[in-house]
Amino acid sequence: MEKQDNESLISVRELKKYFNDGEIKALDGITVDINKGDVMVVIGPSGGGKSTFLRSLNLLEVPTSGQIIFEGVDITKKKSDDGKKLDLPLHRRKIGMVFQHFNLFPHKTILQNMTLAPMKTKGLSQAEAEEKALALLERVGLKDRADAYPSQLSGGQKQRVAIVRALAMEPDVMLFDEPTSALDPEMVGEVLAVMKELAKSGMTMVVVTHEMGFAKEVGNRILFISEGKIVEEGTPDQIFNDPQSPRLQDFLSKVLI
Amino acid sequence: MYLILAQSAKTTWWQSLFSGMSPASFFNFSFLPKYLSFFWQGLVYTLLLSVLSVLVAVIPALLLALGRLSKSKAIKGITGGYIAVFRSTPLLVQLYIIYFGLFGLIKIPSHTILGFIDISRFIPGICALALNSSAYVAEIFRAGILAVDAGQTEAARSLGLSGWQAMKLVVLPQAIKNVLPALANEVVTMVKESSICMTLGMMELMWGAKTVAGTTYITIAPYVLVAIIYFAINFPASKAIEAVERRMRRGDRKV
Repeated sequence: MEKQDNESLISVRELKKYFNDGEIKALDGITVDINKGDVMVVIGPSGGGKSTFLRSLNLLEVPTSGQIIFEGVDITKKKSDDGKKLDLPLHRRKIGMVFQHFNLFPHKTILQNMTLAPMKTKGLSQAEAEEKALALLERVGLKDRADAYPSQLSGGQKQRVAIVRALAMEPDVMLFDEPTSALDPEMVGEVLAVMKELAKSGMTMVVVTHEMGFAKEVGNRILFISEGKIVEEGTPDQIFNDPQSPRLQDFLSKVLI
Repeated sequence: MYLILAQSAKTTWWQSLFSGMSPASFFNFSFLPKYLSFFWQGLVYTLLLSVLSVLVAVIPALLLALGRLSKSKAIKGITGGYIAVFRSTPLLVQLYIIYFGLFGLIKIPSHTILGFIDISRFIPGICALALNSSAYVAEIFRAGILAVDAGQTEAARSLGLSGWQAMKLVVLPQAIKNVLPALANEVVTMVKESSICMTLGMMELMWGAKTVAGTTYITIAPYVLVAIIYFAINFPASKAIEAVERRMRRGDRKV
């Protein structure tokens, strides 16, 4: 922990996101460091800014002010101080993202979903990209569905594909935006199992979720965000067994653990 | 004297207005054996004119649609202005301005293809129809692009694809599939609208009917015949498009 500055993968400084000229403060000054190997789970009430925070990390949401320093580069600046233009797609390639509604490409097969970006952005040949994609599909038990279309898969299968599609880009960090919220209850487990395995493999992850069991078991840091601010931060043990703020105590009393 | 009056009373004055007109005159197709080629060639001309003009319109329409969705205010304004002008003025007026104005400057040599299509008229006709059609097709494309879930773009961008790559590889393929029925409808519209090209002597269906009517003094039936031909093309076509649309809606599922 002494060398935190060196290990910090994403440094977020005073991040603010306002809508309607400041009338709505979705993010109201978030400062946090995400270190290599962290599994940071973000919890909090709906509309509190969790998703906006996560979506800011790869600039799907453009912040009103503040800094996001990813691997030493402030990606909120279109031009760096030495005049170099920011190559946002380049940084996004290293930040994988999984969405609540999967967002698989319906006009492409599972395999094509996975090979599209590696081929177009990293210049991989089709054979290379397919080999890598098939290995990843095997890891999540879906190799036999490689030639299926997304509409032929169950929700749980779609989300597992979405995870390995992001992994095919070999990202340095994975962002999960409520990955199990749109799933039927019996499919939640299979997706969480993949995420757990991913965490074990050492992947840095930021996970917005309502799955408190996952937060407790897999997360090493919990962030409680409400009304656009980090209200409390700590280890799962601190957050779930010894919550300090009334806001967090109230929230935990209302969610099933 | 009395007898004569009585007899003329049988045909009252208003009946004379319709003299020479009988139910049979609507379907007096006696001109057909001699003038069949006018209608056959007219049909080919009409179909070529309408299908080609919509096809030519596709690329400009796509650019216009992308322009309308652009972040740049200037590009948005220019493309929006183009669409507004072409949608708010009559096609006939546009046709005349383009034919006499634009193609008064650009001279196309008189050359005949297929034996009856004079390209010095045909090409200006295609241009006018395509310029007009592109304004309408642009709005079709714009709606089609906006109908693709925003999550698709987000997923593509989060994978590191550029904005243009996301549009080209992910959004447009889905948008175009969705707008194909509307595009086919535009062809149906063009089959009808292209009849105004008659006024510039393009030998399409309506021109054929007018020429036959003028030559044979059979005034109604040629127009009835072309009405039947237009209907026989457009009605089944619209029904087929509707059926395809229904099937596509059934096939759509959230992914």
